[in-house]
Amino acid sequence: MKKILALMLVLALVAALFVGCTGETKPSGNESKPADTQSAEPGKSNNPDDIPDTMTSADGKYEVAFVTDVGQLKDKSFNQGTYDGVKLFAAANNKSYKYYQPANGSDATDEDRFEAMKAACDNGAKVVVCAGFMQGTALAQAAEAYPDVKFVFIDGWSLGKDNVAGIVFHEEQCGYLAGYAAVKEGYTKLGFCGGGGGTNDACCRYGYGYVQGANDAAKEMGVKVEMNYTWLYGASFSASPEMQTLCAGWYENGTEVIFSCGGSIFESINSAADAAGKKVIGVDVDQSLVSKNVITSALKGIGEAAQQALEAAFGIKGDWGEWSGANCKNLGAAEGSVGLPVDTWSLKNWSVDDYNALFEKIVKGEVVIDADFSKLASTDNVDLKIVE
Amino acid sequence: MTFLIQQTLLFAIPLMIVALAGVFSERSGIINLALEGIMIMGAFVGVLAVRILQGVPAFQQAAEAVSSFNAGTGEASSAWVTLQGMEILCMLIAAVAGAIFSLLLSYASINMKADQTIGGTALNLLAPAISLFLIRIIVNQNTMGMAGGAGGASWFLIRKTFFGVGANEDMGFLGNTFLDKTYLATYLTILLFVLMSVILYKTRFGLRVRSCGENPQAAASLGINVYKMRYAGVTISGALAGMGGFVYALTTQGCTTNGDVAGFGFLALAVMIFGNWKPLNIALGALLFGLFKCIAASYATLDINADGHFLLNEIGISSYIYRLLPYVITLIVLALTSKSSRAPKAEGIPYDKGMR
Repeated sequence: MKKILALMLVLALVAALFVGCTGETKPSGNESKPADTQSAEPGKSNNPDDIPDTMTSADGKYEVAFVTDVGQLKDKSFNQGTYDGVKLFAAANNKSYKYYQPANGSDATDEDRFEAMKAACDNGAKVVVCAGFMQGTALAQAAEAYPDVKFVFIDGWSLGKDNVAGIVFHEEQCGYLAGYAAVKEGYTKLGFCGGGGGTNDACCRYGYGYVQGANDAAKEMGVKVEMNYTWLYGASFSASPEMQTLCAGWYENGTEVIFSCGGSIFESINSAADAAGKKVIGVDVDQSLVSKNVITSALKGIGEAAQQALEAAFGIKGDWGEWSGANCKNLGAAEGSVGLPVDTWSLKNWSVDDYNALFEKIVKGEVVIDADFSKLASTDNVDLKIVE
Repeated sequence: MTFLIQQTLLFAIPLMIVALAGVFSERSGIINLALEGIMIMGAFVGVLAVRILQGVPAFQQAAEAVSSFNAGTGEASSAWVTLQGMEILCMLIAAVAGAIFSLLLSYASINMKADQTIGGTALNLLAPAISLFLIRIIVNQNTMGMAGGAGGASWFLIRKTFFGVGANEDMGFLGNTFLDKTYLATYLTILLFVLMSVILYKTRFGLRVRSCGENPQAAASLGINVYKMRYAGVTISGALAGMGGFVYALTTQGCTTNGDVAGFGFLALAVMIFGNWKPLNIALGALLFGLFKCIAASYATLDINADGHFLLNEIGISSYIYRLLPYVITLIVLALTSKSSRAPKAEGIPYDKGMR
């Protein structure tokens, strides 16, 4: 009898853990949220936080679907930023919307992602927005299986299919602005910590742009800049004590500001900055609200991009042909999709006017920033120390 | 040198206290594989407690006084003492949470005589799921930090200016190393480590706990309640591990929690075996391991004798060697000491009154 009881208890313990894991592919149907907010009047709400994450449509169909990248929906970064765009579009145009998280979290396979896209299409999606370059394989498969559904591939590339729109960002441009701003502010000892272990193209472009920006500013000011540059301990985009110690060591030896380029590694870097009383530069979204140590953030307009792509997909504005097929959309300064948040930055020695002037030059092509990050090396004014 | 000692302590202290947590449980006869899970729960509840206590006006005012003082505008005040009190309170709450969570393991393995390894593994899987689930409900994202974007260091880090020393004055080697930029939690944990070790070895209660891990039937024949002792062992273990989890979250992650402690619970298990289930050896093992982990992470900027040369970087050894070191050293020490190493005899075996 006791044995049976013991067995039952173990089973109960094991069963209890699956409670937290199940339902990942399914849209998390949070029914307790009031459904009346979904019918927001067109163009009325501009704050994505006012729009509920889940809604219930009258006919059980959801026209706009969002499939997340690794990590949670509310990551204050990539997923959340993209979904904010989806929600704003849906609210403005009275579309029903739903999000889907591939099963198995950060270990999701192509099959898990395909299943999530399939669930979206079976639920009546007309457009599926997929975030993250890792979704490429699953997306090609889904686009083949559902030729009538349109797909938007953020941080992606052209898949050569008429129903898939690829969107690429010029991360090197906002990286450049961040590096330029840091040196103009008076910092000469910089750091860069990147996520993805050097295999994530977006992070590589951020980093290479950062070096170029620091170099150009240093040249104008006639100073020399030292920069520590690493991909160590960031491969999984998560915080770790090793990352904290690495950065504490840099700060200890004079590094004044570190560009935190990779999701949650920010926690470790910010913790080291806190203890040393030094500064951090944020990434993807404005992170100055997260910590006072953030002097500015290298932004990319993922939400706006998702909105524009959706407008094109539904034929409201823009030409879908420009986004899809052999084409893919390159979004940069010219489209207003990258930049620094001028309202919330804490820079003192570099003015918003100077920023606007530089931004204008990038838009006009007078300042050209190289995106080929394989050429990363020390430059005339930047002494690059790659830590590996 | 100062940097090296401070960073080594950050690595070693959570390892040390959690390894001692393992000792308490295993010495009473229960294998506690759930250390990782208990740490995660401790970190989660501790950070949650910080968030809630942040709303208390007394603590808010203290934090404002400290931050204006740090910014150089406020009066030198004793407000920071209040915040240290808050830190201690949160450590206690985390310990209670760890103790409660570990009751699941005690119940399964003492009352139900379930397999202890499986029970511990189940808790390890349960803890991250539960804490992430709750974090998502509370803050709607996957990392929970302090409210209002405050950093753990800005509230709880002890700085030399608190002792009336100017920001640019030197406190001497000892002052710079052990007073400036430190956490009270570090020293409390060391004190607790010593205290608990004394309890385990020098008190009647400690002797009874240890006897239940060696030969519970003999202990029972002398009138010791084995169930009670084992419950006590696992509960103390849970409390220490829960506190260790919060100390880890506070000192290395800036008081944030995300359902993960980077495998420190498992490392602590390794340190416990490495230290041969004895507190002193464990302390040394944790420091050694922490030292090499610290060297691996920061060798490129390590200036031991402050002469402007980064010796370890300049001798041109591959960085991979440095990162291998903690584990290689562990292997070597284990190889040299494993002959005399022995686990508590009755650990892992459910207590059965009738068995001889």
